[in-house]
Amino acid sequence: MEENTDWEPRIVGFLCKWCSYAGADLAGISRKKYPANIRIIKVPCSGRVDPLFVLKALRLGFDGVLVSGCHPGDCHYQTGNYRNRRRFAITKKLLESMGVDPRRVQASWVSASEGGKFVEVITKMIDEIKEIGPNEMFTDDKRKQLQ
Amino acid sequence: MIKENNCNKLIEEAKNLLKQGKVQRIIGFEKGSLRFTVTPLITSDTDAAERLVINPFIVNNLSNFLTGLKGKTAIVAKGCDSRSIVSLIQDNKVKREDVVILGIPCNGIIDLAKVEKLTGIDKDKIDNISLNGDKVLVSFNGGKKEFATTEVLFDNCLACDMPTPTEYDVLIGEAIKPKPPVSQDKLNELKEKLPAERWLYWQEQFSHCIRCYACRSVCPACFCTRCFAEENKPQWLSPTPHWQDNLLFQITRSIHLAGRCTDCGECERACPVNIPLRSLTKEMYDIVDDVFDYKAGTDKEDAPLMASYESEEAEDLFL
Amino acid sequence: MSIIKKIGKQDLGKLLEEWKQGFKVLAPSRESGAAAFTEWNGKDASFTDWYRNTVTPPKSILLPLVEKMFSYTKNEEGYKLETPPPDEKKQLVFGIRPCDAKAFNLLDMTFKDDYQDPYYLNRRQNIILVGLSCKDPYACCFCTSLGSSPSDSSGMDIMLTDIKDGFLVESVSKIGEELMQNTKSLLEATDDDKAEAENNRQAAIQKISRKIDVKGISEKLRQCFDDESFWQDIAAKCVSCGICTLLCPTCYCFDINDEVTAEGGARYRSPDSCSFSVYTKMPVENPRSEKWKRVRNRVCHKYQVYPTLFNEIACTGCGRCIRLCPVNWDITQTLESLPSSEVKDAK
Repeated sequence: MEENTDWEPRIVGFLCKWCSYAGADLAGISRKKYPANIRIIKVPCSGRVDPLFVLKALRLGFDGVLVSGCHPGDCHYQTGNYRNRRRFAITKKLLESMGVDPRRVQASWVSASEGGKFVEVITKMIDEIKEIGPNEMFTDDKRKQLQ
Repeated sequence: MIKENNCNKLIEEAKNLLKQGKVQRIIGFEKGSLRFTVTPLITSDTDAAERLVINPFIVNNLSNFLTGLKGKTAIVAKGCDSRSIVSLIQDNKVKREDVVILGIPCNGIIDLAKVEKLTGIDKDKIDNISLNGDKVLVSFNGGKKEFATTEVLFDNCLACDMPTPTEYDVLIGEAIKPKPPVSQDKLNELKEKLPAERWLYWQEQFSHCIRCYACRSVCPACFCTRCFAEENKPQWLSPTPHWQDNLLFQITRSIHLAGRCTDCGECERACPVNIPLRSLTKEMYDIVDDVFDYKAGTDKEDAPLMASYESEEAEDLFL
Repeated sequence: MSIIKKIGKQDLGKLLEEWKQGFKVLAPSRESGAAAFTEWNGKDASFTDWYRNTVTPPKSILLPLVEKMFSYTKNEEGYKLETPPPDEKKQLVFGIRPCDAKAFNLLDMTFKDDYQDPYYLNRRQNIILVGLSCKDPYACCFCTSLGSSPSDSSGMDIMLTDIKDGFLVESVSKIGEELMQNTKSLLEATDDDKAEAENNRQAAIQKISRKIDVKGISEKLRQCFDDESFWQDIAAKCVSCGICTLLCPTCYCFDINDEVTAEGGARYRSPDSCSFSVYTKMPVENPRSEKWKRVRNRVCHKYQVYPTLFNEIACTGCGRCIRLCPVNWDITQTLESLPSSEVKDAK
């Protein structure tokens, strides 16, 4: 992988409003530093995340996707994160079986009080994505040109 | 193989159901307009029911026609098809009491594409295909060639572990015990590729896709009245068949069908440009089995896979 | 006065190589997993061993799957529009069958009508069709019922016919004649060669097994248009995929889609299908939301509307729709089973 020191990973994070988004807010309020490579999309619940969002993000060129919600058992809507758990598991595994680096697509349980955990998750993920390299899954250059 | 003489029993059952007014229509197979081809028969006419057939070419998953039908329907279903019906019942698209399932225990369906490849002859030039136990005899050009059934059955038939319908009202024929699964060479070949090679493989395959949506149209589990591929607010993928969007479509489709796909193989068979779709859909089928110990359409009382959960599962994938 | 020559089977590669100097040569290939016309690989012409007809019809050369109509970029000064450059070389389609070549003529009627479609015409004017008459029609072929035949040369510039160990090569149009005059690889054809070719052509016609009677079909369709129960029955097993339309050499409906980003975008045209349930969907209503209406529309467009507009049935009997339909829906069966009534004005 050639060194491209200009490249900074761009990650999109789907954070549930009640826990993970609040956790990210807390990290900010607590002045915890974390890399600016993440763009956050607030969803009411991690159960709102259709695997299609994850795939669309990769199609658009995001280098990584994070889905984060309340801990199992703590979902504001009772069972939303359980839905997310099943959907995310099959999405990640299918992409991995197709040859996609599994570190591109990650999920976490971050509660509203876990500002520190949020910072850990993001920092680790961005380091991993830096290692993997930019997302070229859907770029035309990597295969012969079509008409 | 499915015994041809079970056909009479099927015709009798179907006619009785219609005559007695127990069903509004029957859905089964009749002889097609090309050699070794069957076509769906959807009829309320008792005379038309005489045309029902059972043979080693009854490939369609007829449960595809159940969604949206009013009244009661008698439907011919092989092992995989009956599971699709159960899956539709789980999803509340079909009521159990609205279908009379005429179950066909199935030993496998002959893949004409494989026969064509092995003989080097197109199917319209083959004189006869007959079977005898675990051998298939193909006559062409004045000669004969014998193949083992494992050489000419569809790949998903070779992997089948539920040949006898799991849910039925009448069983047409004797229940069949599952045979040991045959090695899936096409799938294994793909698994042996390195990850980067695999992704390139899929890019290449989907550059051939013409977005006919046949895979979606023949799939009983794809019953959305407005598919995500046709949404335009927001537009998830372009209707233009760029390979990127073709690939995105199929990956998303496989995920949306998780826990409902019964590996009937219709998507791969229907694809006019021979994209090995099952290499993707079977992958999902196996993931669902590995991670959740679940096979679609086995128990109609089950909640759909993606609508249920365990208190603890798949935690190794979450930070 | 047409030119008649021949080429030996073993020299076919040489002929294609010669033509490749002046044209982008497209020939049948199975590399993609299904037979299609692709740029000739420059290696050998062994496709003649297996080639009967392709899955994707050659119309995709004129109406590509992905056609960039224009693109634009946005910067501080404003918008800059770019149209794709024209093809560098003229195209030569080698091996096109009579049904597909005739289809090009049918497509012309639409794209050269009130509006002259520049995207289609730019390619159409720069394409040479070197046809190959059929020696081995499929069981699904029914070209003879539609005024064509396995050796119908309409639409072609040059036509090849199988003879022992090679092909008879005959010019059909002025362009074909010119090309043949400038082609060195061709050999002289004997009277025996010509007689053999004619015999083979007749034999191929005899092999067509699928026949329908289209006399008065337009009127018959017009009369049963409102017969809902007939069409419901006919359409019952159709699954509304797009195979029949997308693989039909005469179907031409298209969709246009804009793909935009912050920095610019492009407009693409791609084939569409009237079989799709959303084809006629509009904000207010969808006139063909029911499947039977879409099936009726397809049959009527080809066998009743097109003849009314252009005096030609928009079908050349290639049989792809029958061969590739996942449920074996068969248009010839539909046409044979139209409810009969007194046909007053046969068309």
